[in-house]
Amino acid sequence: MLPSRQNDTLSRMFYRFMRWWMSRNFKEINIQPFEPRPGHSILLLTNHFSWWDGFFANYAAFNNLKRRLYIMMQHDHFLKHWYFKYLGAFSMKKGSREMLESLTYSAGLLNNPENLVTIFPQGALYSNHETFIHVENGIERLIKQIKGPCQIVYQCTLIDYFEGLKPRAYMHHFDCGVAGEVPFEELRQRINNFHQQALKKQANMEH
Amino acid sequence: MNRFMHYYIRWIVGRHFHKLSFNSIEVDPQRSILLISNHFSFWDGLILYCVNDRLLKKKLHVMMLEDTARKTPALRYAGAFSVNKNSRDVLQSLNYAVQLLDDPQNLVLIFPQGKLYSNFVDKVYFEKGIWRIIEQTRDNFRLVFSATFIQHLKHKKPTATVYLKSIDENSAYKSIDELAKAYQQHYDLSKQSETEIIL
Repeated sequence: MLPSRQNDTLSRMFYRFMRWWMSRNFKEINIQPFEPRPGHSILLLTNHFSWWDGFFANYAAFNNLKRRLYIMMQHDHFLKHWYFKYLGAFSMKKGSREMLESLTYSAGLLNNPENLVTIFPQGALYSNHETFIHVENGIERLIKQIKGPCQIVYQCTLIDYFEGLKPRAYMHHFDCGVAGEVPFEELRQRINNFHQQALKKQANMEH
Repeated sequence: MNRFMHYYIRWIVGRHFHKLSFNSIEVDPQRSILLISNHFSFWDGLILYCVNDRLLKKKLHVMMLEDTARKTPALRYAGAFSVNKNSRDVLQSLNYAVQLLDDPQNLVLIFPQGKLYSNFVDKVYFEKGIWRIIEQTRDNFRLVFSATFIQHLKHKKPTATVYLKSIDENSAYKSIDELAKAYQQHYDLSKQSETEIIL
């Protein structure tokens, strides 16, 4: 496992740059109203459907959730894009013993209430139209190791066009409870319920 | 001007999308085509224009709302004609579509939803006007269902996928409900194959 060497100044600069770049590629980044619990770190579980997902999480972390972003990356991607380690990325090797190390490391980060760790629980790239969110077992192990207060948030990002030429990204956040208080099976259930809710909300979205 | 719009649409679709994929269907040169599609963005008309250009090879006509026609009048050079849902002109537009379908060279594209919906809707709503067209031109055309979905996948630019299905017998449907049901079935299947993409 390779840890993050997160740097606040660089992260802020990168956020500004990404904000500009996303504003060029998207007509609107619409974050649906959501208030995180104060004094809690955040474990952000999001659906993985595109190249942009990490940047969406970055945007939400700075803009709405107001926490310092850390993000779990696949080991080969991490080696290829090494510079992301200054922006909060750390590596994870799927299917090896080092994976446990990464999970312990993320749990350690979550003990600080100023931090936010983004994880794609699906573990692979799925369609944006997917109705079922698969949650890998590693999440259970991670949650068990968290000691400080930590809120679990599910973020569902959906891309829609409507009348514009550029796409709009809609981010729906849902509170899945506090780590340690929710059994893992129930967390799975909740995430899927929230995903269905988001799809329904999106279908009736005003534009 | 028509030529210019033709190249412009092909260029702009090629530039915005990483890839445009569609399945191939048989085209009968003796019959015109009535293409029914879901409507969720400004792009679907342009995407289907390119599909027509590459696969169906007919002359495309598309029914669009009068507001859009006023905002982007250039689309008329790409085969768009307008409809005003809240007036008696509706009949005129529908009759015009019927006339177009008499010529086997033509393709008429209609969005039965009548306005923009999200790409994530489960049920495709059908307005009544489309049935009038089908009723009046019973057998000179071929019905084609299309369902479009846009996704980003691992690329910066989105990928558009169009699922086409040609219906052999127009008279298979006795009412608009049956038609809507058949389209819904196609839409559900398309959506399912769209969600099966895992990378």
